[in-house]
Amino acid sequence: MAEKAVLRIYRYNPEVDQNPFYREYEVPLDEVQTLLDALFFVQERLDPTLSFRFFCRAAVCGSCAVKVNGVSRLACKTRFRDLVEASGGRPITVEPLNFLKPVKDLVVDHDAAFENLKTLKTWCEPKEPIPEREYRIPPEEVKKYERPTNCILCFACYGNCEAVMDDPKYAGPFAFSRVYRYAVDSRVKDEHKREMVKNALEAGDVWSCVQCQKCIYVCPKGVRPAEDIQNVRGIAAEMGFRDYPGVRKLQHFVDWVYATGQINRLALPEEVYGVDPTPLINKFREKGAEVWEVPKPLPGLLEFRDLILEVMKEKKPHLDIDFHHVRRIDKRVEEVFKADVCTRITEKFEEQKSDFFSRFWKKLGEFFGAS
Amino acid sequence: MLEYDILIVGAGGAGLYAALWASQNPKLKVGVMSKVYPVRSHTGAAEGGINAALGNVAPDSPEKHAFDTVKGSDYLADQDAVELMTQMGPQIIYDIEHRGVPFSRLPDGRIAQRPFGGASFPRTCYAADRTGLVILHTLFDQALRQGVEFLNEWFLLNLVHDGERVLGVTAWDIRNGGVHFVKAKAVILATGGHARMYWNRTSNALGNTGDGSAAALRAGIPLKDMEFVQFHPTGLRKTGILITEGARGEGGYLINKDGERFMKRYAPEKMELAPRDIVARAIEREILEGRGCGPEGDYICLDLRHLGEEKLMERLPQTVEHARVYEGVDPVKEPIPIRPTAHYSMGGIDTDKYGRTEIKGLYAAGETACISVHGANRLGGNSLLDILVFGKLAAEDAAEYVVGVEHAATDGAEFVRREEEFIKSLTEKEPRENLGQMRRELGEVMASKVGIFREEKPMLEALEAIRELKERAKSGLAVVDRSRRFNLNLVQTLEFLNLLDLAEVTTLCAVERKESRGAHYRLDYPQRDDENYLKHSLVRRKEDGTLEHGWKEVVITKWQPQERKY
Repeated sequence: MAEKAVLRIYRYNPEVDQNPFYREYEVPLDEVQTLLDALFFVQERLDPTLSFRFFCRAAVCGSCAVKVNGVSRLACKTRFRDLVEASGGRPITVEPLNFLKPVKDLVVDHDAAFENLKTLKTWCEPKEPIPEREYRIPPEEVKKYERPTNCILCFACYGNCEAVMDDPKYAGPFAFSRVYRYAVDSRVKDEHKREMVKNALEAGDVWSCVQCQKCIYVCPKGVRPAEDIQNVRGIAAEMGFRDYPGVRKLQHFVDWVYATGQINRLALPEEVYGVDPTPLINKFREKGAEVWEVPKPLPGLLEFRDLILEVMKEKKPHLDIDFHHVRRIDKRVEEVFKADVCTRITEKFEEQKSDFFSRFWKKLGEFFGAS
Repeated sequence: MLEYDILIVGAGGAGLYAALWASQNPKLKVGVMSKVYPVRSHTGAAEGGINAALGNVAPDSPEKHAFDTVKGSDYLADQDAVELMTQMGPQIIYDIEHRGVPFSRLPDGRIAQRPFGGASFPRTCYAADRTGLVILHTLFDQALRQGVEFLNEWFLLNLVHDGERVLGVTAWDIRNGGVHFVKAKAVILATGGHARMYWNRTSNALGNTGDGSAAALRAGIPLKDMEFVQFHPTGLRKTGILITEGARGEGGYLINKDGERFMKRYAPEKMELAPRDIVARAIEREILEGRGCGPEGDYICLDLRHLGEEKLMERLPQTVEHARVYEGVDPVKEPIPIRPTAHYSMGGIDTDKYGRTEIKGLYAAGETACISVHGANRLGGNSLLDILVFGKLAAEDAAEYVVGVEHAATDGAEFVRREEEFIKSLTEKEPRENLGQMRRELGEVMASKVGIFREEKPMLEALEAIRELKERAKSGLAVVDRSRRFNLNLVQTLEFLNLLDLAEVTTLCAVERKESRGAHYRLDYPQRDDENYLKHSLVRRKEDGTLEHGWKEVVITKWQPQERKY
C-alpha cells in the first residue's frame, strides 16, 4: 500500500461557516514533492472547495506562506516528506498565517501588511541632482542591501512575530528590513531617510521588537529582519532620535554597565519611563528583600572601563557613553558606599582578570554595535 | 461603478512601469488590476538580467544591440521596433536605477554588465541572479510612492469595446466574489505569457495563462506569431522549474543514459553552451531516439557532481536547492533529471510599437503583446527591457489619447449580467470532467505534438485533441465550489478555458508556418523559407467563433535576412 500522510487543514468560509473548523485529508507521499503539491492533491482529487494562494511554485513570488504545525513556511518550498518525517506520523496541521484577517480557508488578507510599507514610506526618493547616467555606488554598499532585497513579502515573518502579537501597531519585521534597505542606500535623499526612520519609530513601533529572532528562523529567503531592526534602531539613534523608551533603556545599559559593571533595575523604570521607583523600593523592603539603591561596583572596574571603551571604539556603537550620567552614578556610589569609587574597585583587579571577562565584554560590545 | 481614465490589467514589470508613467499626469485616474498582488507577478522570477547598450564593460551601441536582437529573432522581428527598444535601453536602465534598483556594480561604482547568449558584448545588467525580483519590488515601492490605485485579486473576464474604441472591461472580484464592469477610456493589457498551455512542461508560474491575450482573441483582436514558444533547455523533469543556464556556464555536463556527453555530436565546439534552441533540440532528440535516462527514458541528466560541493554551494545555491526540493535529488551526489521546458511566449496580441491595437484606447505591453521585437526567438535579457520600454510607451500614448475622450455612456449592467450568467452556467453544470486531469491532458498534447519538434500530422492531431478538450470542457467541466468568496476552483477553470483558446491558436499557426525559424522547428520543413514565410502570422476569431488565419509584413529597415549562424 502506498505511504500516506494526513493533512489537517483549517477550513473557514465566512459566507457560510459560523466558526473555523479542521478537516483531515490523506495524501499519498509518492505523488507529491512539496506541501503545495499536497494542497493541490487535496483540491484536485478530494475537495475542490479548498482555497489557498500560490503563483510561481518556485519560492520567488511569496504567495503561498501558510502556518504549518505552528510555523510560517512557504508551501512551495517545504518538502512534504520532510514534514511527514518531522511530525512522526501525527497529522500535519496547515493554517493561515497569524495576525492577518481571514478571507477563506488558508487565504488571508495581505492588505494590512502592504499598507504598512506605505505608512513607513519604504521607497527611494532620489537625491538631487539626479545624474544623467547612473549614480556611482561602490559594490560594498550594494552588499549591505543584498540580503534585505531578497525579501519577497511573503509575510512569513509577520505571522510568527512576537512583537505583532503584543503590539498590533508594530509594522512587522519585513517592513523594517525595507526601511533598513533604503536607509543605507546612498541614492536616497537624506530628508527622506529621516522621515522613513521616524515613521519606523513612531508609526511602526520599531522599538517593540523583543529580538526573539523568530523572523530570522522562519524567513524562506535568508533575510535577517531582526538584524535589520537592530540596525534601524542604531541609525535612528545616530540621527538623533533618542527620546524613545528603547533608546533610553540602551543608554541606561551603556552608562550603568560602564559605571558599575551592571545595570540598575531600580533606576530603570525612572530612567526609561520616568516612573518614580519609590513605591517599588518600598514594596521590596516590605517583603524583606535586600534593596541596593546602586549596585556594588565590581572589583577591578576601572580596567573593565578601559576594555569597554576599547570595544566600543572597535565596534562603533550607535550610542556613546553619557559621561555626565556616569559621573552622577559615580557620586551616588561614593555616597552609598562611603568610598572613592576608583580606588575601591581597582584593588582586586589582577586576580579577577581572565579570558572569561574579556570575552564577556566583547560580546556586550557586539550587542551594542550591531553594524 | 469603478471608472478610470487608464486601467492597466496586470501588475508585473510592464503593468507597474506603465502605471508609474501614466500617473505622471496627476489629473488622470489610473488603476492597476491584477489577479494576484503586484509583487507576485512572474517578472519576479526573471534571474539573468536586462540588456542595454550602456557600454560600461566594453564599447557598445544601441545599433549593435539591435542587430543582435534581429539576428536572434531569425529576422522575424520588426526592425523599427527593435531599434526603438535598443535606443531607449540605456535611458530606461538609468531611470530604474534612479528609482532604486540595486544593480550589481563594477569596482568604480558603475552598473556591471555580463555576457549573455546571442549578444556580441557584455551587455546584460543584473542584480546577482534575481534581477527581475529586485526590479519588480522597486517598481512596486515606487507605485506606493506615487499612490497608484490597485485592484488586487481581480480576474479579467472580457474586454468591452464598440468596434471602434475600448469602453472598459468586465472582471471578477476574486476576494469578495462578484462581477464588475470597470469603465475605462484606455485599457493597457499587461497580463504576461501563456506557456502554461504546456502545463507541467513549463518554467512559467501556475498563473501564466494568457488571460489578456485570450480576452483579446474573444474580443476579435488579432493575435500574432503565436506559434513561437521558446523552450529553455534545462527544466526539471517533474515540474519544468528552471535550472539556470549558469549551471552549464559553471561547467555542468549534459549526459544521456550511456553517460555520454552527447552535445559533442550536435555542437562539438560550444558543447553544452551552444544557443538555447540548439541545446533544447539536442536533448529532445536524444530522448526521442531512445537515449533518455530513467526507466521511461524520458529525461536527460545535468551532471554537476564534478564541480564539487563547495563550488556548487557558492555559485549555484539556488540550483542545488531547487533540485533538492522539487526533484528530490542532491546534485552533489546525483545528476539532475532535466528536460527542455516551455519558457517564453514570443507571440501575443498584435500591436504597433506604441502598444496600440486596432481598437482605439486598447493597448498591450510585455509578454502578452507581440510588437514584435523578439520575432521567432527571444534573446536572454531582452524580455525585462521589452516590458519596461513598451510599458512606458503604451502608458505615454494612452495618457495622450484619453485627454480628448469621454467615458462611454453605458452603465455596463448588460455586460455584467452576461458574465454572471456565464459563471452561473459553470457552477450549475453537471460535473463530468476533472480540471486537473484536463489540464494535464492539454499539457501532454502540447508538449508531445506542438513542442520542440513539430510535424504536420501530429499537429493536426493536436488541433483535433484541443478542439475535443474544448467540447468536453463546454459540456462537462463544472465549477464545483459554489462559494463566491475566493473561489479558487472558478478562477482555475476560467484560466484553463483561456489556455484552451490560446492552445488552439498556437497549434493552428504552427501548422500554417511550413518552415523552420527560431523556436519553431518543423521536421517536415527543416529550412527557413524567407520567400514564403518572412512574415508574421495573424489569427483573428470571427463572430461565429471560427479562426481566421492570415499574414502581415515584417518591417525591415537596415538588416537584410542572412543565415543565422553562431
